[in-house]
Amino acid sequence: MAAIPNDVFFATVTELNARLKAKEFKDEDLIRAFAERLVQLGPRYNALALPLAQDAHRKAKLVDQELKIDRLRGPLQGIPYGAKDLLAYKGKPTTWGAKPYAGQVFDYNATVVDKLDAAGAVITSKLAMVELAGGGGYRYASASLTGPGLNPWDITRWSGGSSSGSATAVAAGLVTFALGSETSGSIVTPASYCGVTGLRPTYGLVSRHGAMALSWTLDKIGPLAHSAEDCGLVLQAIAGGDSKDPGSAGTGFYYSPQYMRPVKDLKIGYAAVDFADRAEESARPAFQAALAAIRDAGATLVETTLPKFPYGPILSTVLAGEQASSFEALISSGKVEELADRAQIAGLKASLELPAKDYLKAMRLRRLVQEQFRDLFTKVDVLLAPGRPGPATKIDQPLDRGGYQPPSGTPAGLQGIVQAGNLAGLPALVLPCGFAENLPVALQLVGAPFTENQLLAIGHDFQTRTDWHKRRPPEL
Amino acid sequence: MKLTRRQLAAAVCATAVAPAQTNQAAPPADDLQTARERLKANAEALAQHDLPAGTEPAFQFQP
Repeated sequence: MAAIPNDVFFATVTELNARLKAKEFKDEDLIRAFAERLVQLGPRYNALALPLAQDAHRKAKLVDQELKIDRLRGPLQGIPYGAKDLLAYKGKPTTWGAKPYAGQVFDYNATVVDKLDAAGAVITSKLAMVELAGGGGYRYASASLTGPGLNPWDITRWSGGSSSGSATAVAAGLVTFALGSETSGSIVTPASYCGVTGLRPTYGLVSRHGAMALSWTLDKIGPLAHSAEDCGLVLQAIAGGDSKDPGSAGTGFYYSPQYMRPVKDLKIGYAAVDFADRAEESARPAFQAALAAIRDAGATLVETTLPKFPYGPILSTVLAGEQASSFEALISSGKVEELADRAQIAGLKASLELPAKDYLKAMRLRRLVQEQFRDLFTKVDVLLAPGRPGPATKIDQPLDRGGYQPPSGTPAGLQGIVQAGNLAGLPALVLPCGFAENLPVALQLVGAPFTENQLLAIGHDFQTRTDWHKRRPPEL
Repeated sequence: MKLTRRQLAAAVCATAVAPAQTNQAAPPADDLQTARERLKANAEALAQHDLPAGTEPAFQFQP
């Protein structure tokens, strides 16, 4: 067995694929090394839901046979990845991060798993998550079957949720990329906290067939990886129409940032206050430096405000209505009490009582949100804001209260952009942009529907000017 | 400190998923009651917005 050098664990998709094709090592050896590291380090961060070492080993042998005869499947061939444990994997437990579903087994794969298999990627693991993706509203990071997601940069801090294990596994070099999902912030938050690049695709671009349904009109599946380019390559493999997903947009994606407008020609909407008074003080220097890097690239930064809507209440109401229906059996049967977090249990129970008129009011307002964002994107090309206002929260901090409070009277900036972006089905790209308190902080770029290539082009440009995405947690 | 529903609506961003950092004070002891209050607060926040009669729900969701 060939020795696998340590730098491989943090290599990008493109770098790894080139080394495999150059026969620097066998995929079998590569996958074995990743699998061993995953089992060794994954539990340290509560990131691992289920190792799939045997299946991965079988697949790696096939990849080696293909590479031997130059049967090339593209950049993901032979690349190890992990899937958030809300994606069905045939014949193995898919727990949705929740005790009531600990023994759940599907007899089919999620469409995204099949698509990655066809692209030659090697699934090595199911990754931990917040129970039921946190739909009921959770108070503590411990709201998971696998325990609190611990941040590889500092295990006294949270990894973020609900795609906790996906972000952690990439940050700690346990997989080369991971699949996560977002209903409202579940890719943006863990990517920001763990210092990895994350992409929330446009609603409908990636099939949700085989994924846990939390909210049929909000759920999206997307990649977390070491770079914007990697996110683009993974999105290319997983995007596309799917008759098994009623929400599918029926459109594919080809990663082609070279055809996008250069950054110097773009108008980027932002609010200066988001990078100053609305940000935690420790994070402001990093955010200011990141803004300067965007300016240096030649972009025109335009002070912008979001259309005025109560984004949080709209999103919460839509989510409450849809999760009540999706989890009605769990709630009504009483098995909901087996969940780990009391606030989550209460939120799910209460959601059964949501009046239909409130859900419909929220969905009607959502129509206006979509229309007004369409107008906004005629004035700016993309929106820019911090991924989160500061670094990862402490692991025992209650998540449903407290948090950073800007001085009273501080302008709203782009507050609510995560909820707004999810309501309008907009894509978002998270880019690590520096450190605060020795923890990563990040930017988020939000674009009009189906403008992933433009976001990725900006992200790639930013990552050629900075090296934040290449930093590794200490001792890893 | 107990918040009024309107204050709660202003403070609550998203109840869940990736918890938004909010400005709300310590919730009442009863979690279920708190969750119900949050739903009501959300409804009151939505009620502040008048809708044109022709505005249909976003069922045909086309981003």
